[in-house]
Amino acid sequence: MELKFTILILNGLTQAAILFVLGSGLTLAFGLMRVVNLGHGAFYMLGGYLGWSVVKATGNWPLALIVGGLAIALLGLLFEKTMLGRVRGRDLPETLLTVALSMIISDICLIFWARTAITLNVPQYLNPPITLLGLTYPGFRYLMMAISIFIAVSLWVILYKTNLGRAVRAGVDDRETVSALGININKIYSIVFVLSALLAGLAGVLGGSYLQLSPGGDTTILTLSLVVIIVGGMGSLLGAVVSSIILGQIMSFGLAFAPQYSYFLIFIPMALVLALRPQGLFGRQI
Amino acid sequence: MSFMRNNTIKSIFYVIATILLVLLPFYVGQYTVTTFIRIIYFGFLSLSMGFLIGQGGMVSLTQTAFFGLSGYIIGLFGVERGLIFPWPDLMAIGAVLILAFLFGIIAMRTHKIVFLMITLAFGQVCWAFAAQNTTILRGWSGIRGIRPFVIYGINFNEYQNFYWASLVLFFLSVFILWRITKSPFGLALNGIRENPKRMAAIGYPVYWIRVVAFLIAAVYAGLGGILAAYNTGIIMPTTIQLSRTIWVLLTVILGGASYFFGPIVGTAIAVWLDVLISGVTERYNLVIGVIFLLIVLFSPTGVIGIFDTLRKDKKFTITNIFSFKKRRYIQKHKRRW
Repeated sequence: MELKFTILILNGLTQAAILFVLGSGLTLAFGLMRVVNLGHGAFYMLGGYLGWSVVKATGNWPLALIVGGLAIALLGLLFEKTMLGRVRGRDLPETLLTVALSMIISDICLIFWARTAITLNVPQYLNPPITLLGLTYPGFRYLMMAISIFIAVSLWVILYKTNLGRAVRAGVDDRETVSALGININKIYSIVFVLSALLAGLAGVLGGSYLQLSPGGDTTILTLSLVVIIVGGMGSLLGAVVSSIILGQIMSFGLAFAPQYSYFLIFIPMALVLALRPQGLFGRQI
Repeated sequence: MSFMRNNTIKSIFYVIATILLVLLPFYVGQYTVTTFIRIIYFGFLSLSMGFLIGQGGMVSLTQTAFFGLSGYIIGLFGVERGLIFPWPDLMAIGAVLILAFLFGIIAMRTHKIVFLMITLAFGQVCWAFAAQNTTILRGWSGIRGIRPFVIYGINFNEYQNFYWASLVLFFLSVFILWRITKSPFGLALNGIRENPKRMAAIGYPVYWIRVVAFLIAAVYAGLGGILAAYNTGIIMPTTIQLSRTIWVLLTVILGGASYFFGPIVGTAIAVWLDVLISGVTERYNLVIGVIFLLIVLFSPTGVIGIFDTLRKDKKFTITNIFSFKKRRYIQKHKRRW
């Protein structure tokens, strides 16, 4: 029984790893730009499918991770430069553009990868069974957690230790003053959006190796990432860490004990947070 | 009386349009009439979202859940329990009101983009529940066999009768919503759209006005859901999935969110586009996504907005639709909505 619980907790942490990579990207873009990228789920899915094709062609999983991430980052850059930049500062058109993009991306995914459900193949050398404390668990899941922690630490370093991060955090508080100080806020917007897209692409490859990619799955992923940032607090990195761990555990235990409501259960913390602390666990009043 | 004279052409246009719509089943086939029924029930849904966006400045993505909820109530009580005519429908509207109140009191504490995210999540809660509950709501397969009734000897199973009933309900509802928009309540709502803080400062109960607007909109979505359930005969989770909500949002923007009739025009265009395109290609979503993108980038006031701009320019002829001057005019008025 104890063993089973440990495995469930580990499953939950694996889930949390994916949720964090997803949610951190969304929270980053929202915190600075006040844009909810409703195409985040579609970015995830496209990244996952691209990664799947790379693995299928070369069998090289690390390459798939890089290609998936960079391709989506490039897409994000193009989208930001050509479209999002044109309607900067107006909430509704910005959001609607990301909605339109997500419709287009998910239909394109349907053209090229119209399969029922696929999972990326992870090569054996990345997936050795690892025995820790008398418990054997797939090594690849430890790798996913490690990648996720690495991403969390890098984001923290970028946000709190570099000049770029200082400008970003200042921009969250007061964008007019930041641009009055001679910092090119538009450039920072682009960088943040590209970073957010990169994270969505990475999450797609990671998630596609653990869960399944299926047509129409983008809305589920989008909802999950929205719940992560609503619970954690919009724009808060620490909030994304904590809420993805909570939600990961709920998903894992829910799947084991109440499979009928596994997806429904993740909305309970959201309802509680909205009722008791509407700005989220670590968020500030917006 | 000058008011009358200015609107003569407009009035004649509306009268002719109404007559054409009423006589529709006499000169077109069943397929076209059914398409118009689809326009009517999606029109309700679109109107519901458009009312919140255009009048209240609230982009709510929960409306489809209300649409589905009333369908489920009809299915549960009308088909499975066998209740007769007005009861399942009244219960559907009641259930929609209760759910809308619960969602409304939470969601109305937020504004703008946060409101959008929270209502999206609410919609997904309902979808997840409908999809995963197999005991009552039958999971993915949904509830089948919903049929309209025979009332006072009129059989609403015949598509003509159902069409007329839907049309009457639609005209009546649109008229009521139009009156609400022009009432002091509607004007207060417009004020809140522009500046909630100022409205609160001059003593309006901003929070409750928004909640009531949310309830009104939910009833419209619920009415659409009832008609949809009767017409399609089936209610299932795919009815309320997010892509449907996004499609409805698109119809609102396509027609013009800042115009009262925008959502209806948008729905008519989107539904007919669906009919026309589905014969040619399966890529309806791709086409409509690109249209969405272009509308948001180049003409945020939607189709009605384009015509309105052209008319105000007094140069509306076929030859200068794409002239440079018009583009500049549209650009200048981009911030209207």
